[in-house]
Amino acid sequence: MASDQKHTGGSLLFAVLQEHGVKHVFGYPGGAIMPIYDALYDSDVEHYLCRHEQGAAFAAVGYARASDKVGVCMATSGPGATNLITGLADALADSIPIVAITGQVPTAAMGSDAFQEIDVFGLSLACTKHSFQVTDINDLAGVLHQAFAIALEGRQGPVLVDIPKDIQMAEINCSLDDLSQLPNKVKLPPVDVTQAISLLSQAKKPILYVGGGVGMANAIDELREFCDKTGMPCVSTLKGLGAISPENENYLGMLGMHGTKASNLAVQESDLLVVVGARFDDRVTGKLDEFAPNAKVIHFDIDTAEINKRRKADSAILGDLKINLPALAIPLSITEWQKQCQANKAEFAWRYDHPGENIYAPAVLKEISDTMPKNTCVTTDVGQHQMWAAQHMLFNDPSDWLTSGGMGTMGFGLPAAIGAQVSRPTDCVIAVSGDGSFMMNVQELATIKRFQLPVKILLIDNAKLGMVRQWQDLFFNGRLSETDLSDNPDFIMLANAFDIKAKEISKKSEVTAAIAEMLDHDGPYLLKIKIDAEDNVWPLVPPNTANDKMMESI
Amino acid sequence: MNNYQLTITVDDKQVVLERILQVTRYRGFLINGINAVVNTGTNIGTIELMVYSERPIELLIDQINKLIDIKDVCVTKNIPYTPNA
Ligand SMILES: Cc1ncc(C[n+]2csc(CCOP(=O)(O)OP(=O)(O)O)c2C)c(N)n1
Ligand SMILES: [Mg+2]
Repeated sequence: MASDQKHTGGSLLFAVLQEHGVKHVFGYPGGAIMPIYDALYDSDVEHYLCRHEQGAAFAAVGYARASDKVGVCMATSGPGATNLITGLADALADSIPIVAITGQVPTAAMGSDAFQEIDVFGLSLACTKHSFQVTDINDLAGVLHQAFAIALEGRQGPVLVDIPKDIQMAEINCSLDDLSQLPNKVKLPPVDVTQAISLLSQAKKPILYVGGGVGMANAIDELREFCDKTGMPCVSTLKGLGAISPENENYLGMLGMHGTKASNLAVQESDLLVVVGARFDDRVTGKLDEFAPNAKVIHFDIDTAEINKRRKADSAILGDLKINLPALAIPLSITEWQKQCQANKAEFAWRYDHPGENIYAPAVLKEISDTMPKNTCVTTDVGQHQMWAAQHMLFNDPSDWLTSGGMGTMGFGLPAAIGAQVSRPTDCVIAVSGDGSFMMNVQELATIKRFQLPVKILLIDNAKLGMVRQWQDLFFNGRLSETDLSDNPDFIMLANAFDIKAKEISKKSEVTAAIAEMLDHDGPYLLKIKIDAEDNVWPLVPPNTANDKMMESI
Repeated sequence: MNNYQLTITVDDKQVVLERILQVTRYRGFLINGINAVVNTGTNIGTIELMVYSERPIELLIDQINKLIDIKDVCVTKNIPYTPNA
C-alpha cells in the first residue's frame, strides 16, 4: 500500500499519468503551464516537444490510433490551448481517445481577460467528448482518473483537463493507490438477436458494411470470423480499412464517394446491410434517400445516438462487438450473390496501365503497399493522395492506417506519423502527404530531426491543392480559384535543412529503385514524386448523387 | 414543427447546463423555455427544457443522454405545433 506522498499539482499530474501507463506525452510549454513543465523535469514521462500545439495534438492522435494506448498532449493557456482545438475536433470526429492538458491562468485571474486567458473550457464543449476545469487541488487526481476512463469507455473520444496555474503549484499529501473503477456511464439494453437472425437468414443479397468502430472495439478477429462464417460480400469505410482481411475474396473495397465500383454497385443492389461500427456518413452514403434503397438494416454500434440518426435500423444491436458479432455469425446460402459480387470485383479491378512516362500515383502507392514491411503504419494527409492511398494500399489492421476521416484535416499526416513512430518505434511508418497538406504542419520536421524518428515521407507533388482543383474542374467550370501551388518551395532543400535525406523523382522508370531506397534507409527520408497536375481520383460520386451513378473519367 | 418538454435529471457538475444547451442548439432544436433547479442536499439537478424542431425528438434525447453528467432524459410533454394566432 502506498502511503501519503507530498505532491504539487504538477507532480501529481505525472504520477497519475504514470499510473495510467503513460510513457510519452506531446506538448509545448508556456507561461500558464510552467509549473507542470517544472514537474516534468523530475518525471520519468518522456516529453516530445512538437513545434506547434496542433502538431502535438495530432501526434497524440497518431500515437493513440497506432496502438491501443491513450494519447496525451499538453499546451499552455490562450494561444496554446486554441492551437490544440483542431486536433481535439479531429479526435472527436474519429472517436480517438486522447487526454489534453491545458494550463490556465491562476484561478484568481480567471474571468478577468488576463494575459493569455481564453475560455478553453467553453471552447471544449463543441470539440471534446468531455472536459474538466480543476479548481481545487483535492479534485485533481480524481479528475485525471475520470478523464482517462471517459476517453476510453463506450465510444472513445478526446477529453480536456484545464488546470489553472495555482492548482499546478498547490501542495497536497495524497496516496495514489486508489485507481478506483469508475461507474460505467454506458448502460445498454440487453441484446436480442432474434429479429436480426431472421433478417439475415431471409436476405438474398446481404452486404457487410464495416466502419472504424470495429478497430476501436478491438474486434478484428470476431469480424473476420463473421466474414468467414457468413461468406458475406463486404465493404469498408475509409476509417474501417484494415479490419476486413485483404485476402478475403468477398471483400470489395471501400464504399462511398471514392469507393470502388464493385462496392458501390453491390451496396446499392443489396437487400440487407449489416452495418458494423459505422454511421452512414455523408461521404459514404452519397444521396441518403437513394442509398441502398432496397436494403433492410441491421446496425451494430456502441453509441445509441448513431442508431436511426441518418438511416432507420430494422434491427439495432447495441454494445460490444466482440460479444455481439459472434451471435450473428451464421452460415448463409448466397452463392449466386457472392459470384455476382466477385465477378464485378474482377471486372472493375484497378488498372495500372497508365500511358506515358510520367508517374502515376496510384501505381506508386500500390507498389509501396506490396513491398513495405509487415506491420507498416501508413498515415496520410487530406486530398487526392489520401484517396489514392485508401484505394490502392492494403492494410492488415486499422491501426496500420491513420487518416483524418470525419474531419478531413490537412496537416494530419506528418505529426500523426510522429506519434505513430513513438508508439511503435520498431515498425516502419510512412506519411503519405500532398504538397498542400505537408506545408500545414511542416514545422514538425524539426521534431523528426530532434528525435531522429525514422519516419518516411512520400510527398505526392502535383503543384496543386489537387482535390479542390479536381472539383473546380468538374463542378465549377474549370475556374481554378486559389488552388495553384506551382511556386512550392524546394522540398528537397527543405528536408535537408532538417537533416532529412530526400530525393525527387518524376519518371515511372525511377519508381522501383526510389521506393527501395526509401524503405531501406535507416533514418527519416523524404521521397517526392512529381505527378501531373491534371490527374484525378476516380471513381467519384458527385455530390448529392446516388452511389451507383459514379463518374469514372471526365 | 413540434414542441416538446424534456425533463432532464443531472448530476450538478461543472457547466452541465451549458453542455445541454450546446447540444440542443447544435442538433437543431430551438429553446422556448427553461426551468432549472438543484437539490443542494443530493446535488441532483432537474432541468425542464421546452424545445421545438422539425427533427424527431429521439435524436436530441440520444445526444443529451450521451453527456457524461446526465442521469435521465424523458419527454414529459409532446405538443403538436399550432401556429401563433
Ligand atoms: C485544414 C484544411 N483546410 C482546407 C481543407 C480543404 N481541402 C481538402 S483537400 C485540399 C487540397 C489538398 O492539397 P494537397 O495536400 O496538395 O493534396 P492533393 O489533393 O493535391 O493530393 C483542401 C484545400 C482541408 N481539408 N483541411
Ligand atoms: Mg497537391
